[in-house]
Amino acid sequence: MDNLEAKLFRKLETEEKNDEFIAVESQTFLQAAMKNFLHNKRALAGAIILVIVILLAIFGPMISPYSYETMDTTLKNASPSSAHWFGTDKFGRDIFVRILYGARISLMVGLVAAIINLVIGTVYGGISGYIGGKTDMLMMRIVDIIYSVPAMLYIVLIMLIFGASVTSVMIGISISSWIDMARIVRQEVRSLKEQEFAMAAFVIGASGKRILFKHLLVNTVGQIIVTVTLMVPQAIFTEAWLSFLGVGISAPLASWGTLAQDARALIEIFPMQTAYPMLAICITIFAFNFVGEGLGTALDPKAKR
Amino acid sequence: MNEKPLLELNNLSKIFPVKGGKKVHAVNNVSLTLNKGETLGIVGESGCGKSTMGRTILKIYEPTSGQILFHGEDITKLSRKQMLPYRKKMQMIFQDPYASLNPRFTIGDIIEEPMIIHKIGTPEERKAKVQDLIETVGLKPDHIRRYPHEFSGGQRQRIGIARTLTLQPDFIVCDEPISALDVSIQAQIINLLEKIQRETGISYLFIAHDLGMVHHISHKIGVMYLGNLVEYGSSDDIYKSPLHPYTKALISAAPIPDPNQSRAKSRIILEGEVPSPLNPPPGCAFAGRCAYATEECRREKPEMVDFEGRKVACFLYKAGKKVK
Ligand SMILES: Nc1ncnc2c1ncn2[C@@H]1O[C@H](COP(=O)(O)OP(=O)(O)OP(=O)(O)O)[C@@H](O)[C@H]1O
Ligand code: SF4
Ligand SMILES: [Mg+2]
Repeated sequence: MDNLEAKLFRKLETEEKNDEFIAVESQTFLQAAMKNFLHNKRALAGAIILVIVILLAIFGPMISPYSYETMDTTLKNASPSSAHWFGTDKFGRDIFVRILYGARISLMVGLVAAIINLVIGTVYGGISGYIGGKTDMLMMRIVDIIYSVPAMLYIVLIMLIFGASVTSVMIGISISSWIDMARIVRQEVRSLKEQEFAMAAFVIGASGKRILFKHLLVNTVGQIIVTVTLMVPQAIFTEAWLSFLGVGISAPLASWGTLAQDARALIEIFPMQTAYPMLAICITIFAFNFVGEGLGTALDPKAKR
Repeated sequence: MNEKPLLELNNLSKIFPVKGGKKVHAVNNVSLTLNKGETLGIVGESGCGKSTMGRTILKIYEPTSGQILFHGEDITKLSRKQMLPYRKKMQMIFQDPYASLNPRFTIGDIIEEPMIIHKIGTPEERKAKVQDLIETVGLKPDHIRRYPHEFSGGQRQRIGIARTLTLQPDFIVCDEPISALDVSIQAQIINLLEKIQRETGISYLFIAHDLGMVHHISHKIGVMYLGNLVEYGSSDDIYKSPLHPYTKALISAAPIPDPNQSRAKSRIILEGEVPSPLNPPPGCAFAGRCAYATEECRREKPEMVDFEGRKVACFLYKAGKKVK
């Protein structure tokens, strides 16, 4: 009998040990997210395309023998050849190199929009959500007002004041592009701050700044990254659309929108001159969206893995 | 012995304003004391304001009215900055071991953070202290670089305990620290808390549903109903001879630890809905479910009175003598 009891006792002890054993295999959140992302074919393809576009935009013009403005008057509207991969335009400029320069502008516009989103959108939304109450209400009213004016109007106004330039386009796009981010971050922060780990931080004496940045915003990193990735193609598209309408970036600099606009007059004779920049826009925007979606699933804390 | 009690609440209330201009009376005029080195158990049904009381004491919520004295000093109106030195002395263990640890922090970061905030020690000293604490709560040194999601509920609660111990507090609010854990692990956590109390003389405000367990670890017990403290006294008194009809009902509903020693009293079943703290009834909050309720109970609110060495808020007991 004694023996039996001793055995029972032992058994329970090992059971308890097992129960207390590490529940999930060791894997950080980011490792798991990475794995998920790499298994998503669309997202992976998007990422690879983006890397290629970025590398081409940075290094392509350096390697190429042509610049965006060198004209070869002997070679106007040439078809693709080994010297001019995408042919030349009506002034005899190399289309491929102009598209690469266009990529620089598009990516620059996207990058600026991303930075504005990250800095202003995240901080503004975070503060609004964390402080709450009347401050939050006021801050959100301001955002509503900014949002109620169409983005195009800001852009046109900025251009009227500062003239048409890449900077004007970027400022114009930036004025209202961070608002979605601010709203998303505010919502997240409002629910996170009620969680016990935020209270725990408060109880150990953490300042408001520390709680917001170190405890709450780090837990919205997933949403922030996804929102930024989806914001970038919007900004790229807006810039291309404006340039196509002729109110954006002006010659001899060329963004993809300007290239398409320039080639439009000749669309019936040389359709490919319009098609190249448009394809570039489409491919880049799709790639960003695929990556954004992929990150969305990979970084969703609620998704099972 | 003329020492001041560790914690004293005088008519502490917390009212939450909610949409539509309504008010939730989550904690209502609660007065009690907690002595150094003791455990005060707080029991009551879900939603009766136990967590709110614990959080208000630690000023996570601003008190609406009343007074909180900590070591005899009034901390009720102190600002966040002024509270900072007191934060080292008063800590909290949370109910949900899954929500109370920041998922993006490693265990080491979580335990070290209080020292960083209060600028205690050099990085090396802090690392050493984290190692110490990890062992104190029964975890392994190599757990330091891992993330909370890699641990079981019981282990996470140990991490939460280690975090509270970092600053060597003399008071911890334990808000249902074991209710989310497996039964086999509950006892381990309770043992750990008791061991810490024996070694450091720390005081606990221990919030729980289960009166049996609270009786086991508490020196005093306070029973709450709908934001009100209805009975308060020594643990044995309350457990063995409850006075308030609500306490009686709670105790008769509690599982009996030893079946051979079955309770003489018959089970009192709690009937009726708990009234909403949104518009609490004018009289005794328990009147709707109380077998002894009279007209007076529905009209007026019973005051806390001293009765047989404890305090009880019920018209059956009037300053020293039982009415019925
Ligand atoms: N931040 C808040 N705003 C408004 N009402 C609240 C808030 N926190 C709690 N309450 C309300 O106050 C009352 C008491 O809640 P509390 O969480 O303190 O109860 P509890 O006794 O801890 O319950 P449980 O055992 O379920 O944890 C409830 O009616 C709850 O809805
Ligand atoms: S005051 Fe009246 S209603 Fe309230 S518990 Fe006592 S007897 Fe019951
Ligand atoms: Mg609670």
